[in-house]
Amino acid sequence: MIELWHGLTRAIELIVTLDPEVMEIAGRSLQISVTSALLASAICLPLGVLIHFRRFPGKRVLVSLIQTFFSIPTVAIGLFVFVLFSRAGPLGGLDLMFTPLVMVLGQMILITPILLGLTIAALSGVDKAILDTARSLGASGFQAAVVALREARFAVMAAVIMGFGRAISEVGIALMVGGNIRGFTRVITTAISLETSRGDLELSLALGIILISIALIINIILNRIQQR
Amino acid sequence: MPFIETVNLGQKYGERDILKNINLRVERGEVFALIGPTGAGKTTLLRLIDLIDMPATGKIYFDGVDTAESAKVRLATRRRMAFVLQKPVVFNRSVYDNVACGLRWRGMKGSDLRTRVDGILEMVGLSADKSRNARTLSGGEVQRVAIARAIAVEPEVLLLDEPTANLDPVSASRIEELVTSIIRHYTTTIIMATHDMSQGQRLADRLGVMMSGELLQTGDTRDVFTLPRNREVAEFVGVENVIDGVVVSSEDRVVTIDSGGRFIEAISDHAVGVEVSACVRPEDITLALSRVSSSARNSFDGEVRWVVSMGPFTRVEIDCGFPLVALVTRKSAGEMGLAKGQKVFAAFKATGVHVIKRN
Amino acid sequence: MATTTSLYDTGLWGYLEPRFEEKYNVELDVIYAGTGKALEYGRRGDVAIITVHSKAREEQFVAEGYGVARMPFAYNYFLIVGPEADPAGLKGLNPEEAFQKLMETGGGSFVSRGDDSGTHSKEKSIWKNAGYAYEEVQPAGSWYIEAGTGMGPTLMMASEKQAYTLTDLGTFLIYRGKLELVPVVDKGDILLNVYSAIVVSPEVIPEAKIEMANNLIDFLTSPEIQELISNYGVEEYGRQLFIPCAGAEPK
Repeated sequence: MIELWHGLTRAIELIVTLDPEVMEIAGRSLQISVTSALLASAICLPLGVLIHFRRFPGKRVLVSLIQTFFSIPTVAIGLFVFVLFSRAGPLGGLDLMFTPLVMVLGQMILITPILLGLTIAALSGVDKAILDTARSLGASGFQAAVVALREARFAVMAAVIMGFGRAISEVGIALMVGGNIRGFTRVITTAISLETSRGDLELSLALGIILISIALIINIILNRIQQR
Repeated sequence: MPFIETVNLGQKYGERDILKNINLRVERGEVFALIGPTGAGKTTLLRLIDLIDMPATGKIYFDGVDTAESAKVRLATRRRMAFVLQKPVVFNRSVYDNVACGLRWRGMKGSDLRTRVDGILEMVGLSADKSRNARTLSGGEVQRVAIARAIAVEPEVLLLDEPTANLDPVSASRIEELVTSIIRHYTTTIIMATHDMSQGQRLADRLGVMMSGELLQTGDTRDVFTLPRNREVAEFVGVENVIDGVVVSSEDRVVTIDSGGRFIEAISDHAVGVEVSACVRPEDITLALSRVSSSARNSFDGEVRWVVSMGPFTRVEIDCGFPLVALVTRKSAGEMGLAKGQKVFAAFKATGVHVIKRN
Repeated sequence: MATTTSLYDTGLWGYLEPRFEEKYNVELDVIYAGTGKALEYGRRGDVAIITVHSKAREEQFVAEGYGVARMPFAYNYFLIVGPEADPAGLKGLNPEEAFQKLMETGGGSFVSRGDDSGTHSKEKSIWKNAGYAYEEVQPAGSWYIEAGTGMGPTLMMASEKQAYTLTDLGTFLIYRGKLELVPVVDKGDILLNVYSAIVVSPEVIPEAKIEMANNLIDFLTSPEIQELISNYGVEEYGRQLFIPCAGAEPK
């Protein structure tokens, strides 16, 4: 128990003193996960609108498939991306292995089902007439999709937060394809796993507490936005 | 070249045809009403014209351009129109934003946008509510927002689907006034659907009668009401007396129709032996207590079966070998003391009879 | 028992475990961890015995009173591996010279374990002998990559990046087939890699476990098992993985 306390005081100390290494790692975590959440949203939100409002054969199967992938293990995606981008892999020539870019890619794959599934669920509360109305008033397909998403904005926002949360808290992909390289691909979660293996439990706890704080702050900010 | 033209337009729902071979032409600037009972396919047709749905068969030409050409053409064409749905929904935003959205999608912003939206809100009487969330409005107000955001984009074509169907009488007449003033102040082409044939008569220049997915008749409002093409149209447009018979003589376009031993004279080109229906509008029938000599060629004696007072008019059902409904002023009904069982004489002119060939 | 990753990766413990369990009729739980973490488990009393390979830290562990005594039982050598092309030209140098050349002339990347493991400690001491403080190596340039991960993943990363790395012989032999790396420097006194077992102090763990931990030490240093260690892996990898040293520090 004393370690929890030490971890907490260490965390506060590291945050208050703006410890450069910790700040750098936290910043990188944020940067990578925000990027993957935004990019995945840019793809999944319009795609969710398309899947929800279009009628096509196999739609039900597709939706349940998407839901199945909610709980896909991060290491499975890590492995997939690794095989794809390693030197011997089909995309090895791009030389992206162990870079932040490939981490973003892996996290996007990870959170795409969540974003897509939750967006579709969010849209089930939107009357189809909303879409017809938008189009009848001259909205393009994309503008109509924005209208539908805006109608379900709270639930859609929740989907994005979920996706971001999953991205910033995962360790499997970051470790396997990022490689936990200091000053380049080391993020909070991989740093925690490293510090634990080094035996520095206090620093691990401190980083864990910083991770939770980031999640908390983002939730508070988004809640504020929603209330406006 | 008509402004909007549909050629053999058809739509299916699954295997079922819900719209068959619609050939409609609407000219620029005219007010055209699609009338017909619920389920006739009016909404389906409007959705096709607004290019929201894709037709199963047929073509739609807008200003001479085939709208099936490309998605780009369809969007550009749709932006020249505005459609007020039968059950309008408002966006979960302010009244102002609801009215502004169509303009924003067309790239308007800044003071142009504000001026235009404020003007429209003024016109529909919603200026005071512009910051309210549109979801909190009443049914009539929602309908006004829906019309306001449609006319805000100054469409070349305004499509209205049953604009007053779901409203209380006060809201309904207010919306009808609004539509009337739009017709007066804008040169917009209007295509509206209504199951209320009198509304169609009041607002439209031309009518199209739809039933079971087919466009049965189009024409000037007066023509459709007085010269229905067939029995279904006749019944829908309020010709209550449709008497079946056979042409037994024809002379100089004056025909005699035998209906169970009673003979009706009318003006028609149908030849002897043709099975026809004689249509007589109730308001064209005069009633008297004794046989009077008049210019009316047709005069039948009968017995009053039912008398119903309808505001300034009284509706009288008479049995004179065939059933006949007459509409007389309340005043004359009172003078005659019309009551059930009374013997009366019903008279109408040969020119008041519209003869339709039966299928 | 907590063991360093290299003894686990090579499969030595998987090989010895059933034999020990059979002989003493006991359940032996082997936890896989880097030297740093294994020592931490020992400090916390989570394990009764540790088998690691970092002499200085082992001695510190004993000196602090967490461990009873160090018992070396086998050794082999570390080696520096790198791409076949040897872009930095390290072949034929001794470890210290190789590190100096990497630092001074560049031409090659180096992936460091960066996880305070025994291998990482060894790397640090080579840097020290080569005349650099580790603090000046870390920020030296993008060629110095701190992976912060186990030996296997570090080798994979070095292979992906076609970089040099320091590895223990056993793990390298096991991963060799998946790697595009070859031994570059494998001679030098400093590359000696001694594995030792340390029984955790009775002040930290219960008495009952001490006895079994001592049994394990006896087991490891018995002539019979030393023979098995000596022959382990020869058939599979065509090379001796461990040289037994039964309690004596090798020269």
